[in-house]
Amino acid sequence: MSAAGHALALRGLSKRYGSFTAVADVSLEVGQGEFLTLLGPSGSGKTTILMCIAGFVEPSEGAILLDGRDITALPPERRDFGMVFQGYALFPHMTVAENVAFPLRVRKMGAAEREAKVRAALDLVQLAAFAERRPSQLSGGQQQRVALARALVFEPALLLLDEPLSALDKKLRAELQDELKALHRRIGRTFVNVTHDQEEALSLSDRVAILNHGRLIQQGAPAELYEAPRTRFVADFLGKSNFLAGTVQEAFAGGFAIGAGATRVVTAAAAPPALGSRALLSLRPEKMALLAEGETAENTVQGVIAGWSYLGAGYALNVETPDFGTLRVTLPTWNAPIAPREGLAVRLGWRAAASVPVLDDLDQDRAA
Amino acid sequence: MRRQDAGWWLLILPAFLLMTAFYVAPIAQVLAISFTEPAPGLGNYERLFTSESVQRVIVTTLRICILTTAISLLLGYVLSYRIALAGAAAQRWWILAVLVPLWISVLVRAFAWVTLLRRQGLVNETLIATGIITEPLALVWNEFGIVVGMVHYMVPYAVLPMLASMREIDPRLLAAARGLGASRITIFAKIFLPLSMPGLLAAGVLVFIFSLGFYITPALLGGGKTLMVAEWIGLQILDLLRWGLGTMMATMLVVAILATLAIFARIVDLRRIFGGGGA
Amino acid sequence: MMAHRPGWFARISAGVVALYLLLPISIIIPVSMTDQRFLSLPKQGLSLQHYVTVLFSPEWLGSIWQSFLIALAATGLAVVSGTLCAIGCWRLARRSTDLLRALMLLPIIIPSIVYAIGAYRYFAGLDLLDRFLGVALAHGVTGIPYVVITVSTALAAFDPRLEQAARGMGASLSQTLRWVILPRIMPGILSGGIFAFIHSWDELVIVLFIASRDVFTLPRRIWDGINENLDPAMAAVAVLLVVFTTGLLLLDLALRRRRAE
Ligand SMILES: Nc1ncnc2c1ncn2[C@@H]1O[C@H](COP(=O)(O)OP(=O)(O)OP(=O)(O)O)[C@@H](O)[C@H]1O
Ligand SMILES: [Mg+2]
Repeated sequence: MSAAGHALALRGLSKRYGSFTAVADVSLEVGQGEFLTLLGPSGSGKTTILMCIAGFVEPSEGAILLDGRDITALPPERRDFGMVFQGYALFPHMTVAENVAFPLRVRKMGAAEREAKVRAALDLVQLAAFAERRPSQLSGGQQQRVALARALVFEPALLLLDEPLSALDKKLRAELQDELKALHRRIGRTFVNVTHDQEEALSLSDRVAILNHGRLIQQGAPAELYEAPRTRFVADFLGKSNFLAGTVQEAFAGGFAIGAGATRVVTAAAAPPALGSRALLSLRPEKMALLAEGETAENTVQGVIAGWSYLGAGYALNVETPDFGTLRVTLPTWNAPIAPREGLAVRLGWRAAASVPVLDDLDQDRAA
Repeated sequence: MRRQDAGWWLLILPAFLLMTAFYVAPIAQVLAISFTEPAPGLGNYERLFTSESVQRVIVTTLRICILTTAISLLLGYVLSYRIALAGAAAQRWWILAVLVPLWISVLVRAFAWVTLLRRQGLVNETLIATGIITEPLALVWNEFGIVVGMVHYMVPYAVLPMLASMREIDPRLLAAARGLGASRITIFAKIFLPLSMPGLLAAGVLVFIFSLGFYITPALLGGGKTLMVAEWIGLQILDLLRWGLGTMMATMLVVAILATLAIFARIVDLRRIFGGGGA
Repeated sequence: MMAHRPGWFARISAGVVALYLLLPISIIIPVSMTDQRFLSLPKQGLSLQHYVTVLFSPEWLGSIWQSFLIALAATGLAVVSGTLCAIGCWRLARRSTDLLRALMLLPIIIPSIVYAIGAYRYFAGLDLLDRFLGVALAHGVTGIPYVVITVSTALAAFDPRLEQAARGMGASLSQTLRWVILPRIMPGILSGGIFAFIHSWDELVIVLFIASRDVFTLPRRIWDGINENLDPAMAAVAVLLVVFTTGLLLLDLALRRRRAE
């Protein structure tokens, strides 16, 4: 399996059902051999976008380009994409081998060649021993791998996956995530994956596109999205985040400061907003530290522990502050400077770059 | 996608063409003839108001249909009630007992009734042999025979929709009412009957519209003396060659059936009547 | 909690209704085996002479064979067109196809007599009266609703994503039909076929109008028999017919049970 993947581009894709807009003006590029994940809450339009790419749903507007060629009007059976459906959609009246052979059979491939390819595909997903079983006799994880083998056997240059792991339990999901990632490396094809599981998106993808209410909110490498969320929704949906609201008090080269009550917080930003305007900062719980007596940081805040819990690898503290309400802080257990206790007064500190200015899109959300 | 849908539309095409060319067209022609023969206009429909024989046929048909529907509903309801409350294994046998008559040729059934009910038939012979009567009773080739045969044909049709709606009744509801001390009659009147009403209505519509156009049973068991609409139409066309009159009555028959359906479509889910076709 | 069971009144009256349904049909069995020359219960002993009469009569055999061939052709017509139509309507699923499906149900709503006189006139123009083809066509189109209903029911349980999966893997429409859809709904198609067959096999009203001498089906011969000479041979034919229909129904039941498993 060597052919390189295709490059895919969506241009201003929209899909309306009556007056309801399921997908609104989405533009995306997926590079050759890239692993892109569409991430979003339920009903955000992920499946609809994937179905447009596969050709099962006709876009209301916009174009789909494959290596620069417009394929918007091409019927699904002529697109040659592999697809793993939400729920797998294995043919219940065929054996595993027959299921996997199906795409080859429709391509009228000779029996000998077909058998060899089916065997190779089943080997790839480690299911050679199950070739003669029916899908109903397999576990969820095995069915998922049959679906994968069936999608890969005809060597499609583009593989579409709709929540391939969502029906599995947590442990199996982690295992298959690794397998999927290894598979992607090995065969070097373009994958477009859909999920509403943010961990899966972060660990698998080269690039993640975040959707909400049918709109593309932000796209980029997982680390980029996590470290520099552009909006409140992204910061909240990918991992956990605290939000600090205040008024812009001062601007300087490479950053600005906001004030809320008696507290001042500095942040790094390329283009500071106007003085006196409202601003919102996102601050990850793991990016704060408990400061010892006399220790300083770019930003510091006083607070009292209102509650805490032990999570094994770390502690989670709820720290009550006068100006920002309750802040969630996580500390690694192994080098926590204190033993947490309710009522304990603490001082939190973090670097300017850790508090990231974000657009407050929650109001828009409520309106939408 | 419109273009991709073309293939699926193509699948519908053979049935559509066959249906249009060999079913709808002949029937449309019937409707047309009723306005054109023997002379163009509404002449045939005037007979509805002027001809006594036309009116007699309509009245007879309605009388027999209403009687048939009422009796079929009663008997069918009793049967459905029994089936719905039977255990799973017993239900299968009961349903078979309903389905077999449903699919047995209407001719065979009419023949069986003639065998039983005619003057030298088994019923009369038995009654005479046991001395209950001395003269054979006129049980067939009259309205009584028609109703007996039609009800026999219609009961299974009445059972199916009623049974379907009774099966939707949660059995725990009945058991719970029992546990609260309700009597059998109270449970039936207050819970079972109201909940099975949709099925009862659907069965009523079904039996009534099937009865309206019934041909074979009335023809065989009515002995030519009691004419229902279908047989009367046949007579006009085959023996009297009065196409205009026959097609007028056929049109009225179709109108009556569609009107009944249209009226009850508001109250009854038509899917109950015609099975999973709309599912 | 104990299940609610019917009381004695319901039990007895239901039993009576069941007898009313089944007894008349069963009574023809002893009548068909009577040793008398007229319609009656057997007096001295059972006799199969009337079955012999039927099974060695070229008229009866000819009608049975003709009915069988017509039913076969009509079933073929109804099954092929009805199945494809049900699949198309299922997949397109919009208002217009709902209307189409309602159109396909017309033959069980509109009385046969109306169609029969229409076909009598219409088929005369096409020179289809008293012809095998004419009767097969008429029985075929009127058998379509049975197929449409059973196949639609089977399709309601079919996962539409299987069809998408097949198309997505490059299968053409005909490949998807042959390899994915039809195998899954085969029991429904067979059921529809059985009902369409019984429909044609028993159909009389249309035949009375569009056939006369050359096409003389079994129901037509029975009809003449009942109207002209009520003899025990008629009972023998009736029993044969009942056995045949019941056999087909049991076959359908067995198919349904297999589908349920
Ligand atoms: N055929 C349709 N007709 C009308 N609305 C639809 C249709 N298909 C999808 N929608 C709507 O479009 C929106 C997006 O649906 P979509 O299936 O793409 O969501 P999703 O992101 O895949 O959600 P999930 O995570 O639950 O699978 C939903 O609000 C849905 O109700
Ligand atoms: Mg989805």
